Amino acid sequence: MKKTMLTLVAVAAMTVSLSATDYRAEKPDTWTAHDVPTAIKALYGEITPADAAIKLKAPKVASNGGAIPVSVKTDIPAKSIAIFQDANPEAAVVVFAVTEDMVEDFALKIKMKKSGTITAIVEGKDGKFYSKKLTLEVALGGCEG
Amino acid sequence: MKKLMLALASIALMATATMADAPAATEVKMKIKAKEKNGVVKTKVSISHAMLTYDQAKKKGKEANFITHITATVGDKVVYDASTSQFLSKNPLIKFVFKGKKGDELKITYTQLKGETFFATKKIK
Repeated sequence: MKKTMLTLVAVAAMTVSLSATDYRAEKPDTWTAHDVPTAIKALYGEITPADAAIKLKAPKVASNGGAIPVSVKTDIPAKSIAIFQDANPEAAVVVFAVTEDMVEDFALKIKMKKSGTITAIVEGKDGKFYSKKLTLEVALGGCEG
Repeated sequence: MKKLMLALASIALMATATMADAPAATEVKMKIKAKEKNGVVKTKVSISHAMLTYDQAKKKGKEANFITHITATVGDKVVYDASTSQFLSKNPLIKFVFKGKKGDELKITYTQLKGETFFATKKIK
């Protein structure tokens, strides 16, 4: 009886995780890591990403650190795409879970406390990792407000 | 036979329990633009949210509150799935592209720090 219940709970939990990947629940250490290498290690393990054709875009000088437009675009078939930066107390910004129905072209606005480097990591379907870095200046920090 | 009945009963119990436990998603207003061209839908979503980081919240004497997960679905297809941190901008703006068609309903759902969920829907133009 108890076993049935347990199996049912497991099944319920599985169906939930199928519809969406919650990287916060799966890899909690990623979100508390204070620097980029630690965060990457917590998310993907020991990896040595190769430089690749990832279009990572952000303004060279951001006038408002509270809302910096960042976009990432790639043709590499990916399982997930993660964005990190080294200006804030914690490194992780966002992790996208990529499915067949998506086009790998994401943009969002992020906060950065000071000038720093944004790192994008692409987890390819081939099991390899690719990365791209971009350094930018932030004129006015976005974390005091 | 008795065992089967019990199992069935437990399934029914479980179903009601999970339904009661799942926090109901609240419908909110979001600015959503979704336009289809050649089978590809370009989407822009703007969510009104303070996105208070732990540091900001401490200074203001408030509790930190930020969006931790955003998903977009069309029917049962997931077309956008992002686990997010406190460093999205205030009133975050997201843009994404997916394969879809005109007339379908796009549903955006976000979860904030304490687990409350909010959603909004929009027809793809």
